[in-house]
Amino acid sequence: MAVEYRPKIVGFLCNWCSYAGADMAGTSRMSYPPNIRVIRVPCSGRVEPLLVAKCFQQGADGVLISGCHPGDCHYTEGNYHARRRFALLHSFLDYLGIARERLRVEWVSASEGQRFTQIVSDFTRELAELGPRSEG
Amino acid sequence: MDSELIQQIQNQARDLLESGAVKGIIGYERASDGLTARPFFAYEPSAVERLIFDETCTHNLVKYLLDKKNEKMAIVVKPCDSRAINLLLNEEQIKRDMVFIIGVYCPGVVETAWNRKGQTQQARCQTCELLKPVVYDFLAGQEPVRRPEAELYSDILEMEAKPVAAKRAFWVEHFGHCIRCYACRQVCPGCYCPECFAEQLDPSWVGIRIAPKENELWQAIRTFHLVGRCIGCNECERVCPVDIPLSLLNRKLEKEVKELFAFEAGLSPEEQPPFATFKKEEKLGLEE
Repeated sequence: MAVEYRPKIVGFLCNWCSYAGADMAGTSRMSYPPNIRVIRVPCSGRVEPLLVAKCFQQGADGVLISGCHPGDCHYTEGNYHARRRFALLHSFLDYLGIARERLRVEWVSASEGQRFTQIVSDFTRELAELGPRSEG
Repeated sequence: MDSELIQQIQNQARDLLESGAVKGIIGYERASDGLTARPFFAYEPSAVERLIFDETCTHNLVKYLLDKKNEKMAIVVKPCDSRAINLLLNEEQIKRDMVFIIGVYCPGVVETAWNRKGQTQQARCQTCELLKPVVYDFLAGQEPVRRPEAELYSDILEMEAKPVAAKRAFWVEHFGHCIRCYACRQVCPGCYCPECFAEQLDPSWVGIRIAPKENELWQAIRTFHLVGRCIGCNECERVCPVDIPLSLLNRKLEKEVKELFAFEAGLSPEEQPPFATFKKEEKLGLEE
């Protein structure tokens, strides 16, 4: 019997915006796929490529990095640095044979609970379509 | 071998040692196989006769400056190596007044192996446009007439065009060979962390097991730590005992950095590297 493929997503959410946004989704009783495992980080600028690479090494199907909208960073400029880093990591992962769709960088503010659920739903669906990692 | 060029290097080195301006010279000498070159440290004026320079001098000697931070040294650099000096100056690893740079016009270096000297230039030299060191105190040799013979990123473009699964298969194959001897790190002028992430035990990022997945993590992050810092001396690939095409990784990121941020490492000691700065208005393909 075929087992339904359920992609695993690791989400790095910044403490000040996106984690609060996810909280918002929860307290507003919005539902979104349970495929995401959330890790709270102080800032999207805290997420180094090593963390992302480690997630993929350990079998994650997708990694979501989410932080404050550019200009809204609690630490003024953390997300600007994150943006540069992940713009490059996108194409580098693709080059290594991890499809670029598997890494997503999104800006979610504390009030955007709806947007957060939308992102997780879309991401989960896209990963399910992509299939398991070994197939690309 | 260009005896005039060698004479210039030796004279300069002798002057520096006799006047006491530097403690020692870091250069090249003929290796014991009689064909290739090896690094040489001259501390006595009488030793400078052993200094040579020719197309077999492939090593990037700048790495040694990191071990000689407290002594004033002179160093023989090719144009590509000179970019590593700018890198280390930019990152405040060395002081400009603690190093005397003997730059040489570069004829391009050839592939060498123990007791064997190739005829063809190394791939990186075939695309190189830098004939003159970007930083030097003394310049030796004559400007060579040399034009890039090959397309700069043809192999990278070819690799990029492959489907994801083919790229995956390519790297799985190559990373499967890696024995994680870390020679690529040891030889790299940009890899000088006192404690490398590969050797951290808590958290243990890279497992001690020599397995494809661990090797891949090591190579991916090693390369990523050199974003906007790799100066393209390609020493990592040269020393790799299992011939992993590391330049395909390094030059991919070099190309990306050039396209996204119009930055090339090591051309100036002042210019801010891409990850040390940002522009508020840039989007970089990430939606807001």
